[in-house]
Amino acid sequence: MAADVEQKGRSKPENPFLIIGKPLATAARQFAKSLIRPSTIVYPFERLEDPKFREEVAIRSGRPIGVGQVWDNYRGVHALNVNTCISCNLCAFSCPDLCIDMVTVPGGDPKHPKKCPQIDYGKCSYCGFCSDACPEGCLSMTTRYELSTPKRAEMVYSPQKMFEIYQRKLPMNPIRLERPANEDSILLDVPLCIGCNACARDCPTECITMLDIPKVAPKPGEKPAKRIWKEPVINDSDCVRCGTCISVCPKECLFWGTHS
Amino acid sequence: MAITTLWDVAYFMATALLGLVGRIIPPLAAPLGNVDLIWGLAALVFGAILLAASMINTIMLIWFERKMLGRFMDRRGAMHVGYAGLLQNFADGLKLFRKNTFKPRDADGLGFYAGPTAYLVTSLLMFGVLPVSTGWSDGSLPLSMLLALVIFSFAPLFIFISAWSSNNKYSLIGGMRSAAQMIAYEVPILLAVVAVVVVSGSFDLNTIVNEQRNFWFWTLPLTLAMIVFVTGMLAEMERIPFDLPEAEAELVEGWNTEYGGMLFAYFMLADYVRALAGSILIVLLFLGGWTLPSYVPAALTSFPLAGIFWLMLKTYLVFGVFVWIRAALPRVRTDQLLRIGWMRLIPLSLASVVIAAAFVLVKCVPVLGCVPSMGG
Amino acid sequence: MSEMWINMGPQHPMTHGLWNLRVRIDGEMILDVDPEMGYLHRGIEKISEDRHYNEVITLMDRTCYVAGMAWEHLYIQAAEKALGITAPERAEWIRMMSEEFQRLASHIMWYAAFVQDLGLMSPFLYGMRDRDLILDLFQAYTGGRLTYEYMRVGGVRNDLPEGFPKQAREVLDWLEPRLVEYDRLCMGSDIFRSRCDGLGVLKESDCVRLGVTGPMLRSAGSKRDIRKDRPYSRYSQVEFDVATADAGDVTGRYLVRMEEMRQSIRIIRQTLDWLDHHPGPVIADHLPRWLGAPYAPVGREGYLLKRNYPKGVGLSAIEEPHGEACAYVVNEGGEHPYRVKFRSPVFANLSACSHYLVGYRVADIPPIMGSVDVCVGEVDR
Repeated sequence: MAADVEQKGRSKPENPFLIIGKPLATAARQFAKSLIRPSTIVYPFERLEDPKFREEVAIRSGRPIGVGQVWDNYRGVHALNVNTCISCNLCAFSCPDLCIDMVTVPGGDPKHPKKCPQIDYGKCSYCGFCSDACPEGCLSMTTRYELSTPKRAEMVYSPQKMFEIYQRKLPMNPIRLERPANEDSILLDVPLCIGCNACARDCPTECITMLDIPKVAPKPGEKPAKRIWKEPVINDSDCVRCGTCISVCPKECLFWGTHS
Repeated sequence: MAITTLWDVAYFMATALLGLVGRIIPPLAAPLGNVDLIWGLAALVFGAILLAASMINTIMLIWFERKMLGRFMDRRGAMHVGYAGLLQNFADGLKLFRKNTFKPRDADGLGFYAGPTAYLVTSLLMFGVLPVSTGWSDGSLPLSMLLALVIFSFAPLFIFISAWSSNNKYSLIGGMRSAAQMIAYEVPILLAVVAVVVVSGSFDLNTIVNEQRNFWFWTLPLTLAMIVFVTGMLAEMERIPFDLPEAEAELVEGWNTEYGGMLFAYFMLADYVRALAGSILIVLLFLGGWTLPSYVPAALTSFPLAGIFWLMLKTYLVFGVFVWIRAALPRVRTDQLLRIGWMRLIPLSLASVVIAAAFVLVKCVPVLGCVPSMGG
Repeated sequence: MSEMWINMGPQHPMTHGLWNLRVRIDGEMILDVDPEMGYLHRGIEKISEDRHYNEVITLMDRTCYVAGMAWEHLYIQAAEKALGITAPERAEWIRMMSEEFQRLASHIMWYAAFVQDLGLMSPFLYGMRDRDLILDLFQAYTGGRLTYEYMRVGGVRNDLPEGFPKQAREVLDWLEPRLVEYDRLCMGSDIFRSRCDGLGVLKESDCVRLGVTGPMLRSAGSKRDIRKDRPYSRYSQVEFDVATADAGDVTGRYLVRMEEMRQSIRIIRQTLDWLDHHPGPVIADHLPRWLGAPYAPVGREGYLLKRNYPKGVGLSAIEEPHGEACAYVVNEGGEHPYRVKFRSPVFANLSACSHYLVGYRVADIPPIMGSVDVCVGEVDR
């Protein structure tokens, strides 16, 4: 059961004459090996993310330096496809370090400006929760890792800057999480709704439509209800579960739940 | 006159220089032709060349160690400044030169500044004594080996001065360790040298080197002395495994903890000056200096500057062994170091003296030849 | 020379991080030591109370920066117990494999730093070189080299990529002869032996009394290993031996750690064989919505959570590379843990340092403290 290493490891008593042959021989063997090619990678000139170089090194040094997908999985600087971003805010919500701000980018209509994530890499912990959360796959992590800059302000990457990274077609982290099968939907607490249209206005996927409902006459002795006689209907298949509607609803009448 | 040694080069340069001046200003030609003047100028040129050569060699030694250690450690060492990083150490030196040298508030100014300076200067003195080829110094110095060892043993004094005056506990401990270590290892080193003297019959390094042409009667009696001497030299140079005074894991940087900028560079440079001088000393005493064994074809030793070439080659090889040891061994502990010094090396060095004396008594062996000091 | 106090730290080559060892010495002899910790305190336990259960994982990687995966495993186990969730079988095996890879990487890192403390630089670089291969493997399936953010409540983030088992086996094949090489550089060297033998002795009874665990305890002769004694994950289904030594000195700790690396390789090989033949899901389905990846605004659900979701506490203990680590997670309902508390093995091992340092020499401090394998990140948290 237990491997007592005492007997095996310490079989040789301490030698008073300090014999040093073995370590010298080991170092000499390494010296002979390194004369051909040391294991180090001459970084700015040789890069592990270069697949050709990777194979070359693996062959030459005989040591299994990441062959295959190793480097592509790296979680580095984000690439953002601004065109497909739907401003759903999920990345900012899922960020544990609160380093994502949604900033306005040109291209949206003036009433509802388009907002895309801006990431402060001074705070980012590269956990990848934001790209896992992104429903459209427009925010993903690349293999880019060189961030050093003399100014702190340059650590803040604007959506445009991340779009430039996207356009460079760097290898992106290929692992995408599938959305869970039985996701909760957004349900409506009907009696509370006032039909204000806030949810439909701010829905990034425009999956909420306001349908007319029959007007209910006030009961005798009551004031007439102050509301618009409309009700949101959510198209579940288009919904990305971003919760924007929940956060804008003035009456907290939207909530998470299952249809059953 | 054939130019075969550095002294010849210096003499030739002095003659040419003075001749040129004489050519330009004819009235001065006669007084400038004075032999003593030429000799004096040659000595100056010689000194300048010596200083430049020793500094360049020291810096190349650092480069050599960095590259070689790199290979031992499966990496490359310096490689970007100059070809294969040859100029990296010059760049590092320049950086240190530009740095602000500051003194801790409570440090003793005189000792703090004088210590490193004196350490470097006395270390450089070694090269004035060590002959590196025939005709190195005009007229041999009869006790040059003793002088070299005396200069070598200045170091603990200055190390301790600078350690004490920098008013830091780590420095003080490092300085004390350094003093204890160097004093302990002077004894076996001197005893090993006694064996050399017994066999060669001379304190003059020139003679000692020349006597080594008789290969077997040098190697057989003196191998043990060489092992003792090399071990002692490792401790004197404060190299791993005996680099306790600056044992970085426990004492930060030992006696140069408080030093920065150029003063640190002095220490660093002096360490390697001593390493170079020590390696040359080993080569001179035990490995035939600039000569090769008598059975080696003469063509190998007859090209210009052959002596210096062989000597430096041997020196770098010896230093390479030190680098190898550094790459493979951890450092020992203070008490172990002193125990090795007093209880192992001193008996061994005494034994080596006895062996050497025995060989001198035997004088000659038919196949191998004779002990040099017996006059062949 | 009279007695004096010297501060080894917080900036000192021996400390491997930020802590201060105050030593009272007389010449070279140690008369008294006084460890001061807290320079690296980041309040991880408190920050955890303000994060989602999964978001705490980003902190776990940073708790111990050389053994992130083990701490993730520790926390996830406690959190799953608190929430009443079980992970799929395959996820458990992947977690176990990850932890063993982490133990391997951590021990190699320890070896590198420990031998460098003795003044020997080459093994440091050999160790870092070989550890890099393990980090490459981690990167292959988690995407991070040190901060993995891989485990999730109810499983792991993603399955192993294609070709991973092959590459992992290649790395193991490469590592095994390297361990022999490490041994030749250390145990084959009499200078190394003379530096380490009989130093920093801590008897088994003292270890138990002081709460010292891990390789330090096992080097004193105890067979205590949580992986064997209270098997978690799937450790009951793999074969391995608990490495022990008798003397409880620096050499013993070295031997135990080297043997543990060999046992880790053995466990990983078995795990890879199992994973080859048992495909399946790696994350539990039917997780509560707020445990999935997108943390959308909860709205009224916050109140609902507090009312509906079953409360619970989770306590887990694992054999972390440095020793026995514990995590305690309290779920009072809601999407954040109510309280998270960790027991760091290194904190206990380090606090006992006056029992194994006093009486030795100043030059013995680096090997002894090196053999403790200090990771200040988890000491201060």
